[in-house]
Amino acid sequence: MIFPIAGVVISPILLAVIGFSVGVLGGFFGVGGGFLAGPLMFWTGVPMNFVIGTDLAHMTGKSIVAARRHRALGNIDFRVGTLMIIGTIPGIEIGAQIIERLEFMGNIEQVVGIAYVIILTSIALFTGWESLRALRLTRTDQIEASDALGVRRISHQSPLFQIPPMIRLPVSGIERISVWVIILIGFVTGILAGFLGVGGGFVRLPLMVYLIGLPTHVAVGTDLFEIIISAGYGTLSHGLKGNVDIMIALTMLTGAAMGAQIGARATRYFTGPAIRFLFSFLPLLAAVLVLIQIIN
Amino acid sequence: MSQNTNERQVDPSIRPLLRSLLIEIVIYIPLVGVFFVLVLRYASPHLTRLYHDNLTAYAVLALVLIIAQGSVLELFTSWLLRKIGLRH
Repeated sequence: MIFPIAGVVISPILLAVIGFSVGVLGGFFGVGGGFLAGPLMFWTGVPMNFVIGTDLAHMTGKSIVAARRHRALGNIDFRVGTLMIIGTIPGIEIGAQIIERLEFMGNIEQVVGIAYVIILTSIALFTGWESLRALRLTRTDQIEASDALGVRRISHQSPLFQIPPMIRLPVSGIERISVWVIILIGFVTGILAGFLGVGGGFVRLPLMVYLIGLPTHVAVGTDLFEIIISAGYGTLSHGLKGNVDIMIALTMLTGAAMGAQIGARATRYFTGPAIRFLFSFLPLLAAVLVLIQIIN
Repeated sequence: MSQNTNERQVDPSIRPLLRSLLIEIVIYIPLVGVFFVLVLRYASPHLTRLYHDNLTAYAVLALVLIIAQGSVLELFTSWLLRKIGLRH
């Protein structure tokens, strides 16, 4: 089928299947899945300038489907999501500005690529190690909760996390946390998202669990709520630059909507540590994909 | 070691998920077929013209369309699953 805006001929079934695969990951792990959808879209023949914008558009629709499902399951902390957005939007802009400045200095793609691989590998190793530890502790009955952590949360230790104003997060079971911590996490992940050209879900999710102290299921749902806003903003921004083929995005969404619902529903069958353990393979996969791109 | 007090009951049976997955597939296949034929074929020329004539209107419409399709798909399947008693 011809998609005249991007000027490509692609099978709509293939696009729907790609959408479905990325949708399952998004619904289950609360990530946008840009790291996987981007290379796959490029592989089908979508021009590079359309890949990011079109992927952001499909990500917006898919996150709406998954977030609504997570909302029904009580997995969204709207207070955290809204506060994070305040930091995320300026963060994305600053990240994009950094990229533009660095482009003048030369070989930007390799610099970003290597930074990406280091960050993703670190996240994968830490999350994998921690979740295995938590799973082992749960099995030996040293800790009871199904959303146990294998490490002590930083928010429980550092006095920096007590800077006023403080907020209570009843949905996440958190009595007191500084508003600034949540905004700062949004800001930092926004910079990374703008700098790396991805949604930033696999950076945000571990930070929400380990720094703020959100239960894993709530972190997944809240991340999806956050992605709706940030990806929606990205869609508009890239759309104004002419980098969105909405027909491709709508076609991908037919598959992604179904995948996202299945992924979101499947979280009910896994404990927090199990979700985090499976999640730890995602950044590793993304790092391998980036490494292949750099080598090529 | 710290532990989270926000415990979650994990459903021991995965059968309801598989059952609703099967029903969703049955619902989705004809839906996607209708979508490809009607929406893509008839909307494509209008959207392409708008893309070349007025990029701002196109960008806004693109966002509206993706939000609308996401919402409609979710509402429709949720309603259908609730009707047949498989809401999960």
